[in-house]
Amino acid sequence: MTTTFEQTGPRTPVVESIRVDKLSPRSRLAGRARAIIATVLALISLIPVFWIIRTAFIPLNEVTAIPPKIIFTPSLEGLVGLLTDDRILSESALAAKRNDPNLSFVDRVMLNAGREVVGSSPYASQLVNSVVIAGASTILSVFFGLLSAYAFSRFNIPGAGDLLFFILSTRMLPPVVVTIPIFLMYRSLGLHDTHIGLILLYTVFNLSFSVWLLKGFIDEIPREYEEAALVDGYTRLQAFRKIVLPQALTGIAATTVFCLIFAWNEYAFALMLTSQNARTAPPAIPSILGSGGIEWNTIASGVLIFLIPVVIVTFALRKYLLRGVTFGAIRK
Amino acid sequence: MATIELIQVEKKFGANYAVKPMDLTIRDGEFLVLLGPSGCGKTTTLRMISGLESVTAGCIKLNGRDVTWIHPSQRDIAFVFQFFALYPHMTVRDNIAFPLQAQQVPRAEVNRRVDEVVKLLQIEHLLNSRPGALSSGDQQRVSLARALVRRPAAFLMDEPLGALDADYRETMRAEIKRLHIDQHATSVYVTHDQIEAMAMGDRIVVMSAAMVQQVGTPAEVYYDPANLFVARFIGSPGMNLIRGQYEQGQFIFPRGDRYTVPANWRPALDKALNGAGEVILGFRPESGKVEVQQTDNLIKAEVYASDMHGGFSMLHLDVGAPNVVHIRANRDTDFLMGERVHFGLDPAMVRFFHPQSELAIRREEN
Amino acid sequence: MAVTAQALSSSAPRRRHMSDASLVRLFIIPTLILLILWNVFPLFYSLYLSFTNYSAIANKAPEWVGFANYTAILSRPSFWNSFITTGVYAILSVSLQTVLGFGLALLLRQKFWGSGIITTMTLVPMMLSPVVVGMFWKLIYNPSYGIFNYLLNPLDPRAATDMLRFPNTAMLAVVIVDVWMWTPFVMLLCLSGLSAIPDYLYEAAAIDRASAWFQFRRITLPQVAPLLMIAILFRTIEALKSFDLMMGLTGGGPGNATETVSIQLYRLAFQGQFATGRASALAYIVLIIVISISNVYIRYLNRLRGE
Repeated sequence: MTTTFEQTGPRTPVVESIRVDKLSPRSRLAGRARAIIATVLALISLIPVFWIIRTAFIPLNEVTAIPPKIIFTPSLEGLVGLLTDDRILSESALAAKRNDPNLSFVDRVMLNAGREVVGSSPYASQLVNSVVIAGASTILSVFFGLLSAYAFSRFNIPGAGDLLFFILSTRMLPPVVVTIPIFLMYRSLGLHDTHIGLILLYTVFNLSFSVWLLKGFIDEIPREYEEAALVDGYTRLQAFRKIVLPQALTGIAATTVFCLIFAWNEYAFALMLTSQNARTAPPAIPSILGSGGIEWNTIASGVLIFLIPVVIVTFALRKYLLRGVTFGAIRK
Repeated sequence: MATIELIQVEKKFGANYAVKPMDLTIRDGEFLVLLGPSGCGKTTTLRMISGLESVTAGCIKLNGRDVTWIHPSQRDIAFVFQFFALYPHMTVRDNIAFPLQAQQVPRAEVNRRVDEVVKLLQIEHLLNSRPGALSSGDQQRVSLARALVRRPAAFLMDEPLGALDADYRETMRAEIKRLHIDQHATSVYVTHDQIEAMAMGDRIVVMSAAMVQQVGTPAEVYYDPANLFVARFIGSPGMNLIRGQYEQGQFIFPRGDRYTVPANWRPALDKALNGAGEVILGFRPESGKVEVQQTDNLIKAEVYASDMHGGFSMLHLDVGAPNVVHIRANRDTDFLMGERVHFGLDPAMVRFFHPQSELAIRREEN
Repeated sequence: MAVTAQALSSSAPRRRHMSDASLVRLFIIPTLILLILWNVFPLFYSLYLSFTNYSAIANKAPEWVGFANYTAILSRPSFWNSFITTGVYAILSVSLQTVLGFGLALLLRQKFWGSGIITTMTLVPMMLSPVVVGMFWKLIYNPSYGIFNYLLNPLDPRAATDMLRFPNTAMLAVVIVDVWMWTPFVMLLCLSGLSAIPDYLYEAAAIDRASAWFQFRRITLPQVAPLLMIAILFRTIEALKSFDLMMGLTGGGPGNATETVSIQLYRLAFQGQFATGRASALAYIVLIIVISISNVYIRYLNRLRGE
């Protein structure tokens, strides 16, 4: 019963999933324009970041060159200066040092900048502290936030509105003023300059945000799915694990990224509540006053290295951040 | 009111077929069901008809008009989604009015048509509720109302009852069928539930692995399945299928029992198997009958299990084949496990299949 | 069906499952405990301090002065100035972030080649430490060797404006940096919200012949609104509290042009006389303002959700 026909439509067969109206040249063009505009905007917004990268690899005496230098001979001064302690040498000492046959690569780099390496800086351990403190507090705040958000969303909790507002209000006080009571509290509890101290503090700060944000996401998940599971004999916990969790992944990923960024970059409390033992990188980086005044290239290196872990985590989570909730794929 | 033609329609994703080239004509006023397991291509086919999915090759005609590359909204069809696709933040009234508002139909007319449709589906009392507050059954009614309000040429429904409770499903099935008849509509309905397909369809298109297995009325796919897949898929449980040898007018069971095939089958079987060979015997549970008296042409079996089904019993018998055979019996029969029984087959209801090609052997093959 | 009935009755002894009520308690109580311990004490202690003339460096115990701190603050025009500055900053900053963030999310919601990388790239500004951002933007804004002026006037360096020198441009400069840093925040939340809208809503609208604008107005916007409001809520609270960035970039200058409340607080508490008590009073005034504003927001948010 095959009637003959003339094949119309695009010359190359369409082998992807696409709606007929999205195939039109206008639609395709609009899609491409969107992509181009987004890329351009992203690149423009990264100019300051490129600038920081440039500053990390430029010799110190060229940082503030007029007009600003974009092309230059890169140097690892900044990087090495970040990781080492050094001091300025006089001309004669420099000349003498240069003839030393046992110079390492690191020594050589610093010599070119007129300085001598005397040891390593605390940056590496500060970095480790940051990883431990920010990582632990992010996990805690997302975990507890998720549980609380679920409870607030699904159960009828007396005074929920007020409780939620209280949770939010903990974030409203300017940190500058909260630092003093917290400082006193920590001193008396022996939490000063400990990892636990900062971890708990960041967890608390992030909790208010994570509860609110996750509740916003969980509210959007229809209850029918859990109710169906309950009818099928699952417990609440199982329903939560099997049904709500997968659909809330986008929200969890976004919350994790935000909590991590806050804890990672936190400055004021880290400055006040730590010294040698638990100091994280953010209070340390801006105050890298090297032997020659503000060492912009060192600071920039510090910023860059500090940026990398967060970028990696965010990039790793991008699939979950951008995922759509797949309603159609869930079959009972 | 519409005739829909699919001519050599296919859909590929990369190099893989989601729907192999198919020809199908849906008649005006017909209720056609696309039936098959998950992933068989039925939903993709439906979406191609609607325009929500573009074809890789082929032609789709609606009332003779080539609509293959036409915007979904210009095809004069309505689509009912499995998960209702109701806008959660709008009231039921706004949801139903949405399609008309999108086309700038004057307010008075919108209200009139909404009221009309709402009365038809008996959801007047829900007009001011939000979809989130409704039961799934009611939500599906609203979804149907939204489709109806446009008075399209054809209704395309993608497993609309999949999200409903079992008991509600039966009620809604009847409602949908009734609406279809009242509206003199042409409907294409996708489901994986063969009971639903048999109950509702004027014709059923059985699909599997991107291919059409059979197109026919419920009676045709039930009594004359075109291949093993259809035989197994249709019916609950599916057709009993036994692999055995055929020679000289007899079907030999794995354990050696001989069953004389009905006389009118002999010519077809002789021709298809060149006199003798491996063949698959098929018969539905209700075509077997356990005989107490030892008469001719009975098959020996051992009772494996038996269930009470209320109006009848289902006997599960072991005939030496790898799979158990299911036979219907009277509800007052009471067999013990391991008991030896004999059963006979209704000669009008036996079927045969080629073991390799899996196709049915037609009795008329001469 | 007899078979299934048999299966049920011979099952293993049922595990005791937690009731809903105990589950609720389990889920919420740790959060509340943490929050109470870490917030109630500082809140009350600060409140107490606000009624004293305590100074962190003086070796005296706090003396009760009643409402003296509050009246002092509310009667000095410099404090009102800082409120206005903070308000202007918050409004400008948050509105720009919202528009740009939402727009960017709309651009990025459809996948295209490299969209994952591009999206991650747009998030980078947000991942930097605010203090350092302030410091580097100071470099960038420098009229002689900063790239801001260099890129805007590559040919005529003398036309460069020193953004940070004049009061009006200084505020603009700070807003630019803040928007640069936090637009990704709004964008990410909107993107999450947008990607959660099921496709079939748009498919149904396509079949119903709804125009793109109609779909945006009736489907996209209402679905994203709750998350967008949360983003605005948090950005507003943060903008009103903003300290690190401002401090690094302008230190409150030139003069008092960009002196927000937080910077005033800092100066009060950690510079000059270290007037801790008075700073606490100011903090509480800020707290009350922020609470009121948030209340309004939250009520609007709840109305949107139909609660």
